[in-house]
Amino acid sequence: MSGGPPVVIGHPRPSATGPLRDVLGRLGVRRLTVVDGDGLAQAVADATAGSPQLLLLHAGLPGFGPDLLAGLREMAQLRDVPILVLGRFASGFHRAELMRAGATDLLARPLTLAELSARLSVYLERRRLDRSLQEVIRSLHSYHHGAMQRMALARQMQLGLLPDAAACRSLEGRYGIAMDSHFESSSELGGDLWGARPLDDRRFALFLCDFTGHGVAAALNTFRLHALLARTGLPADDPAETLRTLNGLLVGLLPEAQFAAMIYAVVDVSADRLVYATAGAPKPLVRHRDGRLEVGPSCGLPLGLAGEARYRNHCLDFPPGSTLLLFSDALYEARGWDGGMFGYGGVTDLVQGLGDDELERPLGCMLDRYFATVPRLLADDLTVLWISRSVRPRSGPD
Amino acid sequence: MAGPSGWRLAMWDGAMDYTVHDSGTLRELEMRGQITFEADTDFRTILAGWEKAGIADCVLNLSAVDYMDSAGLGLLVMANNAAKQAGIVFRLKHPRGQVRDLIEISEFHTIIPCEF
Repeated sequence: MSGGPPVVIGHPRPSATGPLRDVLGRLGVRRLTVVDGDGLAQAVADATAGSPQLLLLHAGLPGFGPDLLAGLREMAQLRDVPILVLGRFASGFHRAELMRAGATDLLARPLTLAELSARLSVYLERRRLDRSLQEVIRSLHSYHHGAMQRMALARQMQLGLLPDAAACRSLEGRYGIAMDSHFESSSELGGDLWGARPLDDRRFALFLCDFTGHGVAAALNTFRLHALLARTGLPADDPAETLRTLNGLLVGLLPEAQFAAMIYAVVDVSADRLVYATAGAPKPLVRHRDGRLEVGPSCGLPLGLAGEARYRNHCLDFPPGSTLLLFSDALYEARGWDGGMFGYGGVTDLVQGLGDDELERPLGCMLDRYFATVPRLLADDLTVLWISRSVRPRSGPD
Repeated sequence: MAGPSGWRLAMWDGAMDYTVHDSGTLRELEMRGQITFEADTDFRTILAGWEKAGIADCVLNLSAVDYMDSAGLGLLVMANNAAKQAGIVFRLKHPRGQVRDLIEISEFHTIIPCEF
């Protein structure tokens, strides 16, 4: 056993504490401070930088009584320290009074040394365990605090991968669209990523990707993809070829059983259409001006599974006044309060149910209604993109 | 319930369970419930049992699986890779509802033979 904090003995005759010191020594106590009662509190304060392990007081100390005990207990460094009182106690009332005033236990004499040893060892062991536990808790608090700070930084970095407000406003002005998005991870970090970038004055590209799983591992994959997408040389205006190229880069890069569902679309505002390809991604949804919904086909191996995978381009009409909705599978795989899956049909019902008066902030309205039926703590990462084509003339060049 | 030649393993609430039917070197695994990340341990148990039993063909009957997510697809990939390494022919059978949609959207039948 190590020395640790000292045990403080308050005894009217310090020279008579030999047997006590022997017992404590055999229990592993290496540091002992013996004081005779005068200035006990000051002695405790001087003797220890922190808290002593234990305070053992002889009831014959000058001035000993409930007031002395209460005064000791008020000292911050003694608040949680066992205070044991050794002596003869005249009555039950007296014993109760001492306990109320702050004694942890009373060691009533006569007492054999073996009994004394047994009683003291209980409190010393409890104190050691308590200090160890406090140390573990402090260490966990410190680790948790550090981990939260690191996570917060990582989350900021992940959010930095997404198009910022300025990029979205630029696309809106250039192509005559309104963009809204929702990005919600099921934990601090997520496995979803979306992006949009101009191709030329009439076309822009848009993608939404969802890596398997969620949390840190999935988030690391989003950084991988972001770096790959930044490479020049991607056939960005051909969705199927873009997916084929990305798949080729991701195969061998992702660990077994990890892959990505992705939709990559090219919106052509001159041709009023959308060309897209999917790799295991949910079917895209177009809401036309007359309220009609069109569900686009989706088929294709998720990215990262097979090097020979090929993808197909699909085309959807996307005229002014219509809206394109892309989303990760969490939107329809989430379970409602009743335990039932929300389902793709639930999504189409939700979009169809939006009235014209809600088109000022359609995505917000849609998600308000969604989260009225689905508990907020999602099991998977959720991304939803809402792209509406304005019926007004575009401000940018054609 | 398991047939006379089958036995039931790994039952617990709200997750997945399965029944194993062996016929010579053909093993059919009748899956039930949900195939998600939580089924990982079950799948590893399944894979560990293949080689010991001298199985040459393995069919995953999905007709009673009511939900599978992308992590579940990942388990199918893992099983398929393990089967290839062990020289076992691995197939899927009768996916229904959401599971069928997921397999079709993801074209998993192009990497793992699937009888719809």
